Amino acid sequence: MNTKKNTLSLAWVYTKMIFHSWFQYRVNAVLASLAVFCREATGILVIYFTLLKFDVLNGWNMYELLFLYSLLFVTYGILIIFFTGLRDFWRIVRNGTFDRFILRPRGLLFQLIFANADWFAAVGHGGLGITLFIISAGRVGIVWNFQTIAYYIAAIIGGVLIQGAIFLFLATLNIYLLETGSIKELFYYNGRKFAGYPISIYHKGIQFFMIYIVPFAFVNYFPAQFLLRKEDMMYYPDIYMYLTPVVGVVLYLLAYLFWRYSIRYYKSSGN
Amino acid sequence: MSFIDVEQVSKSFRINKRSAGVAGMLMNLVAPKYEKKQAVKDISFQIEKGEMVGFIGPNGAGKSTTIKMLSGILYPDSGKISVNGYIPYKQRKEYVARIGVVFGQKSQLQWDLPVIDSFELLKAIYSIKEDVYKKNLNRFVDMLDMGGFVNQPVRQLSLGQRMRADIVAALLHSPEIVFFDEPTIGVDVLGKETIREFIRELNAQDQVTMLFTTHDMQDIEKTCNRLIIIDKGSKMYDGSLQSIREKYGTERRLIVELNQEEELEGIEGVTIDNLENRKKSLSFDNNQVNINDLMNNLLQKYSIRDLTVSEPEIESIIQKMYNGEV
Repeated sequence: MNTKKNTLSLAWVYTKMIFHSWFQYRVNAVLASLAVFCREATGILVIYFTLLKFDVLNGWNMYELLFLYSLLFVTYGILIIFFTGLRDFWRIVRNGTFDRFILRPRGLLFQLIFANADWFAAVGHGGLGITLFIISAGRVGIVWNFQTIAYYIAAIIGGVLIQGAIFLFLATLNIYLLETGSIKELFYYNGRKFAGYPISIYHKGIQFFMIYIVPFAFVNYFPAQFLLRKEDMMYYPDIYMYLTPVVGVVLYLLAYLFWRYSIRYYKSSGN
Repeated sequence: MSFIDVEQVSKSFRINKRSAGVAGMLMNLVAPKYEKKQAVKDISFQIEKGEMVGFIGPNGAGKSTTIKMLSGILYPDSGKISVNGYIPYKQRKEYVARIGVVFGQKSQLQWDLPVIDSFELLKAIYSIKEDVYKKNLNRFVDMLDMGGFVNQPVRQLSLGQRMRADIVAALLHSPEIVFFDEPTIGVDVLGKETIREFIRELNAQDQVTMLFTTHDMQDIEKTCNRLIIIDKGSKMYDGSLQSIREKYGTERRLIVELNQEEELEGIEGVTIDNLENRKKSLSFDNNQVNINDLMNNLLQKYSIRDLTVSEPEIESIIQKMYNGEV
């Protein structure tokens, strides 16, 4: 009990410290959030104007597509509060910070998570996600009641865990390969790009990739389907709409076990 | 069993050997070639509680690798390490709560924040009790004369100030053992002296066991009684500083600067070389020529402006070991 309280209070000290150092450069901190927001919003605008020509895409109208997008950004906003340390694991190893984590009597994942939370990028990404949600959520015919709100929350948590598991898996791979930047680009960022559209528009191979290899479909497509019930859901088993939290927890556990097993092969970066 | 027990420990790294150019890059992708680099070879030693031991050796000798294994960052490939009954790389959390580590080249302080904020974070990480924290902080800040900059952001500190702050950071939780990896690197002479003085005092007052690596012979002379020399991953010497002096480091050089141009008379057992600007170099064996007599002799006969004694460098001592000039 005591150690739990202790751990929580340390997480709080880390968080305070991150804010404290960011506010050493106040203007920069605010601009950084704004820059992230604008960068990502520009991408959305480009898609918006492109899609104006189509009207609908495989039965999805513009607001439904924005809703699909909002899930991606809301989960990413939360993701980088908790998993930036895993996303940037290679850098933390290379500059010797990870050696220092080993020398402190605390969990390694705990330190990676709480010492590296990127709150300002989170405000940028999450802010955009919430903006897209506000624009779209009322116009796509979702009845917001207890059931759908509970589902939405569970799907967000599941979506964060799925991506967190991918980061944790890649971080673990980094222990063996020392350089995983291109793998991350190939699997994570490409998956995320594909996930901007309903996966039903893609070739079967890509759909397979998005459902079974890097399961981004469970981050936004299937949860959106639960709430929107578009026709293209008939290509996939109905159960997939309910699986997001399960996929999240299972993947994260698997990635965690892989991490636990691999950490003893860690080689310090040297001088 | 000794406090620190290292038995026949070896560690090697796999280094990716990549040939140059695009072809080499592609080859590396398809069939990466690895080269094994033996960082530490069959090293054994024992250290008792309260001892202060210096690890010395040239760059790449395996000093840092040894410290990293002792502190639990690296697993040894073979051999056994036990420190105060703990196996560092197996019982990590229990073990690291009892040790402190200073990496001279890698600060553990928060770059953008005042020094004191990093200390507060460490207090939370190690769950240091308020009274212990206050007591340690006040004592160390006082000993290292840090009152003037403890509230300054780390980025504004000089290297010497930063190093002192890093040393305190490693000691706040009252560790039983402290590892210093190059604690004086890049620090100016005065700063080095402050750090050495502090290390000496801490060892004497608290019986803290200390190991430190350096390639500065002066660091060892000013602090340690015992010395372990490592080169190319192997232990070359383990013993007192005194006896290595007697065995290997008996050659001394005395640099004399005269007030006017004149030739020195020959002295038995001393080789005299002329340097520029009225400077002479006198080389001799410390066991055969008494340095006091020599200096007195010179001071009586000549008008001397300056005298310096230079010690043998660690590299030259190791070179002598290889050459078998024992």
